[in-house]
Amino acid sequence: MAVTPLLSRLVDGLRCLPGVGPKSAQRMAYHLLERDRESARRLAAILALAADKIGHCKSCRTLSETDICPLCASGSRDRTQLCVVEMPADVEAIEQSGSYRGLYFVLMGHLSPLDGVGPEDIGLDQLKERCRAEEVREVILATNPTVEGEATAHYISEQVKDHGIRVTRIAHGVPLGGELEYVDGDTLSHAFSGRREW
Amino acid sequence: MIAPCAAWDTAMKTERVELHPAYILHHHPYRNSSRLLEVFSRDYGRFGMIARGVSSKRSRLQGRLQPFRPLLLSWHSRGELATMRTAEPDGAPPVLSGAALMSGFYLNELLLRLTGRHVPYPRLFRNYHRTLNRLGERRAGQDALRLFECHLLQELGYGMTLDHEVEHGRPIQPEAHYCYHIERGPVELATGEPANGVQLAGSSLLALASGQFPDQQSRKDALRLMRTVLAFYLGSKPLRSRELFRSLKGVNRGTTL
Ligand SMILES: [Zn+2]
Repeated sequence: MAVTPLLSRLVDGLRCLPGVGPKSAQRMAYHLLERDRESARRLAAILALAADKIGHCKSCRTLSETDICPLCASGSRDRTQLCVVEMPADVEAIEQSGSYRGLYFVLMGHLSPLDGVGPEDIGLDQLKERCRAEEVREVILATNPTVEGEATAHYISEQVKDHGIRVTRIAHGVPLGGELEYVDGDTLSHAFSGRREW
Repeated sequence: MIAPCAAWDTAMKTERVELHPAYILHHHPYRNSSRLLEVFSRDYGRFGMIARGVSSKRSRLQGRLQPFRPLLLSWHSRGELATMRTAEPDGAPPVLSGAALMSGFYLNELLLRLTGRHVPYPRLFRNYHRTLNRLGERRAGQDALRLFECHLLQELGYGMTLDHEVEHGRPIQPEAHYCYHIERGPVELATGEPANGVQLAGSSLLALASGQFPDQQSRKDALRLMRTVLAFYLGSKPLRSRELFRSLKGVNRGTTL
């Protein structure tokens, strides 16, 4: 089958998705056009709508189509705890664990000292303002255990400490149910450096 | 003239390297689940390397391929960009947090900005390794940075003269005052003479030369001198890690970039 201009544009368009190379983009395009045109139309409509309507929550910066996201607006969250994460997906992960009832702040990235991604790019002024204006008593740093995540956590803790707020960092280490001998050395060394009184 | 042909040959020859000491200076996501690494290796210098599939959830390498971790990397290369095959830890990584972590980024930025690609710097590599460990031990981080800066310039061929003045070759006197001229060296400061260079005490020059800083004044002088000299080689583009460090108020606890 000859690839017409429109079809090749569709394949190109699909390649913007993560994990989608030329081959899988082509497979998706054929699937949508040959077997599932109705889904294709629905997908197109919802994509257009989402791209237009979804912005960022004015309070926590996560993706939201309302000014204040449902989580921030909820009356049943503990407003004295603020958990700082890198991405909206991290909020989802913590929410699914069901272990946290406080509020969030989503950086939408991390500091990257060598790329010039600075505090203003990850909304730290807004975070400080929240710490100042709201009833936050504890900031929980849940940035990733990468060097950039650590640098970001350090930076935030230095900024927030003087507001008289408790700053904690989530523990990283040995997975639950894992046997020590199968845990890789990098995780183990992290677990060791983060050990605590018992 | 066989040069062009020889160059072509080197560029196209596939090179395989096994378990070679290296650090990652910088990294970026690449395509779906790969990472583009800027590697600093002991015998092959700095170069770009692609690590395929390491950002997928199943990859154990994701945590390992971080800056500041001593690694043994295996790769093959054909032309400019190398492809990583394996990565093993090479001893325990230094525990860098807070100001020490920021200092680590600063070292990496200096290496990225000042070293040439594919130029081997085996001594500088070992010095970098030692400096990271000193930063991790949280003792005299600032002094470690100054010594690294000095050593870096020396390895780049911009070595500084710190033990004698350059007009008559006389040894530096601790109590005398000097003016350091970039790319030349210290000149003894005659009283009343206007000087365009970094002015500092002989004792501070000697402190930097020996790596032993007896007091805060010698540290301050060394910082001022190295900042000026480095700025000369770095050009007008500021160091991003230093800007970030400076914007962090209240962190100035024993370390200054
Ligand atoms: Zn929100």
